[in-house]
This record gives sequence, C-alpha cells and structure tokens, in this order.
Amino acid sequence: MINYEANISSYETISTLGQCFEGMAVVHLSKHIKSGTLVAVKRFNMDRIKQEAHLVEREIILTRQLQHPNIITYYVAFVHLQEVCVVSPLMAFGSCRDLLNTHFNDGFPEAAIVLILRDVLDALEYIHKKGFIHRSVRAGHILISATGKAYLSGLRYACPIVFNGRWQKQIHSFPASTARNLNWLSPELLEQNLQGYNQKSDIYSVGMVICELANGAEPFAGVATTLMLTEKVRGCVPELLDCTTIPTDENSDCHGDCDISNTVVSRRFSDDLHELATLCLQKEAIIRPTASQLLTHPIFKLTKKPLFLPDLLKPAMPLSSRVAAHIDEVTNLDVAQQFADMELYSCEWDF
Amino acid sequence: MDNKMCNITQSDSDDQENISENEVELTNRVFEVNSEDLRPLFLQESHLSDHQLLDEDEPFWPNALDDLDGVNINNFFHRVSSDQVIYQAKKRLKMIGKYVMGDLLGEGSYGKVKEMLDSDTLCRRAVKILKQRKLRRIPNGVQNVEREIKLLKSLKHKNVISLVDVLYNDEKQKMYLIMEFCVGSLQGMLESTPSKKFPFFQAHGYFTQLVDGLEYLHSKRVVHKDIKPGNLLLTLEGVLKISDLGVAETIDFFANDDTCVQGQGSPAFQPPEIANGLDSFPGFKVDVWSSGVTLYNFVTGQYPFEGDSIYKLFENIGKGDFTIPGDIEDPLRSLLWGMLQKEPEERFSLQQIRQHLWFSKRPPLTEAPVPIPPLRNDEFHCMTVLPYLFDHYYDTSDTASNLQYFTQRQLNEEIMKREAEQNNGNAQPNQSSKRRWKKPISCIAVRKLPGCKQS
Repeated sequence: MINYEANISSYETISTLGQCFEGMAVVHLSKHIKSGTLVAVKRFNMDRIKQEAHLVEREIILTRQLQHPNIITYYVAFVHLQEVCVVSPLMAFGSCRDLLNTHFNDGFPEAAIVLILRDVLDALEYIHKKGFIHRSVRAGHILISATGKAYLSGLRYACPIVFNGRWQKQIHSFPASTARNLNWLSPELLEQNLQGYNQKSDIYSVGMVICELANGAEPFAGVATTLMLTEKVRGCVPELLDCTTIPTDENSDCHGDCDISNTVVSRRFSDDLHELATLCLQKEAIIRPTASQLLTHPIFKLTKKPLFLPDLLKPAMPLSSRVAAHIDEVTNLDVAQQFADMELYSCEWDF
Repeated sequence: MDNKMCNITQSDSDDQENISENEVELTNRVFEVNSEDLRPLFLQESHLSDHQLLDEDEPFWPNALDDLDGVNINNFFHRVSSDQVIYQAKKRLKMIGKYVMGDLLGEGSYGKVKEMLDSDTLCRRAVKILKQRKLRRIPNGVQNVEREIKLLKSLKHKNVISLVDVLYNDEKQKMYLIMEFCVGSLQGMLESTPSKKFPFFQAHGYFTQLVDGLEYLHSKRVVHKDIKPGNLLLTLEGVLKISDLGVAETIDFFANDDTCVQGQGSPAFQPPEIANGLDSFPGFKVDVWSSGVTLYNFVTGQYPFEGDSIYKLFENIGKGDFTIPGDIEDPLRSLLWGMLQKEPEERFSLQQIRQHLWFSKRPPLTEAPVPIPPLRNDEFHCMTVLPYLFDHYYDTSDTASNLQYFTQRQLNEEIMKREAEQNNGNAQPNQSSKRRWKKPISCIAVRKLPGCKQS
C-alpha cells in the first residue's frame, strides 16, 4: 500500500489531462515521486469557484465516504495555495465522453456499452443503498481504467436521501450549478413540484447514458433547455439510433440533420439493449426499475466468455502507454500554467 | 368554416391599474359568416386595447381605408354580428431576459409576485414585479425597495430568502426582483386548516428555522421588524425562508446598541414598546416578540392580543396582559411567557430561546403534518410556466380539442357575474371556472382599504 502524501511537492506534473467543473478545475497527469506510480491530480482553483466551494467540499467528503470497486477513490486531498488538490488513481482511458469524442463519434459497440453499464449500475446500486442520489450520471462522469473497469465520479451533485435521521420518500432539492447536467436529468427532477423525485431519477439518467454511449451524443444535445423540458414532460422517449429506429425512406424529414453516417443507419443494437433503454426512460418513475432490478436483466447474463473492455475500445489506447511518447510536453505545460494563471488578473474585483 | 380572417391580439396594457389577478391574453378571432357572398379584404393584424374590445358591439378595425368613397363598402367590410366574434384564452410566452414568465403566485405589498423559469438552469424562480409609478405613491416606497435590494444582496443564509437577480425595464418603468421559488407562506398553510394551527412537531420545525434565520439577521445587525406567518415562506423542500425585508432596519456599524426609532410592521405582531409609541426601543427584542406571537399563533391558532380596531389592539398590546390556552403545557408555556414579556429587557434573547427546553427537544410525530395547500386546485404546485412553453413550442391551437372559444356575449355575462359577486361582498375568485377575464375598467377603482388584518 503506497502512502500518498498530502503535499504537492510529492507529485511531479507530467501533463494536463483535461478540465472539469466548467474550467474551474484542472486534472493533471502526475507521477508520485517516491513510488513512481502515475496518478491523476485534480486541482480546484478555489479563487474562481467561490459560490460553489461547498460542492467541492461535498464531493471530497462523499467520495471518501463511499467505497466501491466502481466508484472513483481519492487517495488524499489537501490544500495548496489557492487550490484544493485531490489525488486519485489514473483512469487510463479517460472518461467515456473523451472516448466518444476521440474515437467513437457514432457511439460504442454494444458489447462495450453493456460492460460499462454493468459497472455503472453496480456503483449506483451501492450509492442508492448508502442513501444518496447521484444526480449527474453521464458519460463524462464515467471513467475507464487501464484494465477496462468503469468508475463513477462526479459526486459533487449528489444529495442525501436521509434527512433528520429519516429516509425521505421524495427529494425536492434542485441541484445547484447543474446547467451542464440538464439533458440527463429526469422529468420529475426538472419539474420541481411537490411530487419530488427519488433514486429512480438516476435510472432515467442511466437511460440517457445508454443513448449517449450508443449514439455518440446524449439525446437533446444542442436543443434549447426549455424545449428539452417540455419534451420530457410530454413523455418523449429518446431512442438508440440504428436501422430499426432511423426511418429509411428519404421523404421523412423528422431527422432534419442529415449527417447520420452509414454505419449508424446500417448497425443494429440488440432488442435487449433497446428494451433496457426504454425501461430506464419511462416517464413514470414508479414503474422504472431499480438499479438492482436492472442488473438482473438478461443482457447482463454473460453466457459467452467474458469480454475485455480495452480490446473493445481499440483503437483507443490507455494513457499509461501513451505517456512515453508525450513526455516532451512537460516543458510546454509550464507555459500553459502561466497562461492559466494570467486569467486571475482579468477577474473583476469584488468588494 | 373559414377562420382565416382576422387575428387580433390584445396587448397587455400596462396602463390599467385595476386588472384582475389572473391575466389572460385574449386572442380575438373573427369567423366569416357567409363566405360565398362576401370576400374579406384588408383585414390586418392590429392591436386593440382592452377597453375598445370590451365596449364595441362591432369588431373594431382600425385600418379602414378612408379614401375609397365610391366603393361599395360591403365589398370590404361585412357586418359580423357580435356572437361571431370569439375570444380564445391563450397563454403566450413572455420572456424577461433569460426568464420565462409564469402565472401569478400572490400579491405582495408593492406588486405582483409571479413564477418564472430560468431558461439556462431550468430552476424555478419567483419574481416580484414592481411598478415605479405605483411605488412613488407609497410613502417611502422607492427608498424601501432600494434598501431591501441592497440588504438582500448582502445576506446569504439558508433561512433568509435570497435575491437571485434584479432586472429593470426602463421603458415600462418596471423592476423585477428575482428570488428563490417558494411554494407558499405559513399563513396560507394555517388558513387552510380548520383549526388554524400546526401540530407541535411541525411548529417546532418551523420555529427552530425561524430562530436560525433571525440569529443570522441579527448577527448582520439587521432587525426584520415584520416577522409573521405571512412573511415566512416555504420552499419545495420545506425549508423556511424569512422574506419581505421591506421594513427591515440595519443598525449602524458604529451604533452603541440596537436602538431603533421606527416601527412599521403588522399591528398584531408589534411589541408593547411600539404599541405604546415609545420614541426608541431595542430592535432585536422586537423580532423576539413578533416571533413569540408567531409561535403562539402556530400552536394555538389564535393571537395573544386582539382588538376590533388598531387602537383597541394597540391598547391591549400596551397593557401586555394575555392568556395562554390550558392545553399548552410547560416547556412551551414558559417559552411563550419568556418571549412575550412586556419589558424588552426581561424578554428572552435569541440565545435564551435556543437554550430553552422546548427548543432543544423535538416533540414526537403525533399526527399528519399540515400540508401545503393547493394553488388553483393544483396540489403539486406544478410549474406554471409549462403551459406557456407548450403553447410556444407546439401548435396547440389546432390540435387541442379542449380549446375554448368565447363570444362577446359570454364574455359580458362572465364580467357581469364577477361584478355581481363582488358587489355581494363575495369577492372570492371563482375557483371552479377555468375562464377568468380581465375586469373591465370601471370609473371607480375599488382599492383595498388598509386594515388591522395582516396582509
């Protein structure tokens, strides 16, 4: 067991992996100097976060509370100057969103989706049992490790189901700073009425993630938020795009954007996967299955020999094997960091 | 029937002072009677004021061409009897900045409160709409609002209503204070029950939140001065929000103590020092007193002091004699005594309240809590913005079979019915009827008289 020190000097930054939290946090690929292991260091710039500081706090506390093989772990969290740094294991394939952007613009193959989904549902089953609702299940919050295991992250939007020592039947709180998660959120959560929502809201998001992983983009991507809301309230059920759902005749103009590639039109997802998505995306939360019930769905019964996710994700390569080739980027990083710091001066003074 | 003749949309006229609580945009449509004989011409979309629409027997077409003398006028205009002029209740989308306007939630002291939806975050909001012209008529109206805005911007606490945004419309002379969305006030909940009171555990839940919020306000040197159930709002989550800081006072940073000189709150909740007309009094203890009256009201459904007129009321408060019903037992009884002490110096402080036995011990769940009463028959308080969005995105006018059309005659009858109801002193809005219309402008505007009853 490696002891990860709560000190930034113990980690050598190699490169920037990406940004999160609307650009207010940076994820660096770093090397833990003593052990030589690669880790991800997420650095929240608290000067820029201001109002949402409690979200960062909540994410760290909750992530450290939860222990599950499919939920991201934080080795250590500490404060360095104006930043809160969080050290976590390196997720070599990055998030599912990254993979969709770089290698799978039209979506993952079904086998990969099923493997990812099972891990996500395992994590959700655990989170729900622990009395929390995740509220931001989306491809961007599903990370894939070098061994092909999916990890759920993004717990800063989660909320407890237990209040005053009582398990609440409905939750009414509308997550703060959730603008980027809106497309994945369930109709009952978005409606914000006295009926409230419960953990089934996450199941709706799982349905959205199935569509996102299969189609390459989440349903309602690029649609006005208000239209997305009315569509969901009216009970519009998004679909997986394949030969069964895309009308073949040229005349139908219900798909105005004609950039659907041939691979999408000709592919075919199994009936099981279609069924799984529609089960999750039912408007009535009561009839939506729970995470545990979904895990008993026939699609997860692996009759054939188990598949290995990294094989399915080719040509995407895990980061650890790419690092060697990009080690010269380190020098550029300092410059990039300087540019990032300069932004500090442009922010308005607020007395 | 050929219905493509004229589509007159009535504009939301802001000049009216006396419009009913539910603004419904009316779309006027004219249906052709004898389409074989007469050909409709030169009918354009135009705007009519409410007044014209309601007073004309005949549809009013302002675009008449007056230089066409020798032409048979019937070729251009044909008579349409008034029962052919129909109106359609329509929810037209209205945006204020990034916010989508919804229905009326209530009337504040300075103007309407409506629901809004933030189109970026899809978060429900409430908006207080203030008309500059109206504000100027209220003594200290403009100053109070400016002070309230400044004050709300500096406050941030779970139990104090937060101001999200302020928008101005210089053209319409309107101000929009966008706030957190709340489903209702404790006053409304109390009124919805037959006993007009809360079970102990529910009263305890609200009272502890009230004390939390007050403690914060006092730490910021703010005296609220108008604590009452009507100013305590609840969010969907059941979190209490102290609202309406219109008469709140901020104690000067360099002041020696919390001395205040003005009391502007609701009479029934005023402490003896204000009722007796003292020149100055300790401010924080005013809020303790009002919270005491509020708690008394929560658990008994009554007020400790009453009076037929404001003078009688103040006389009774000034004496400071009151009784607590026998069914209120001790820890609570002594808490009420402590909070309703006539002398501010003897009255409990917030710290004493917090340390009190009743405060620290949560009463058992004995009965079902009082629920939030429905809003216009909607027990779930659904987003009222949705119908406007539906109308905007989907052409409901053609598909919806339940769309209602009304003729001038029906409209007039409706208006007369409403007027009759009001004359009978039965001014309750007709809950069952889905159609509600703008009241016609009458010459005599009946203003609500200020009474002792809390608003």
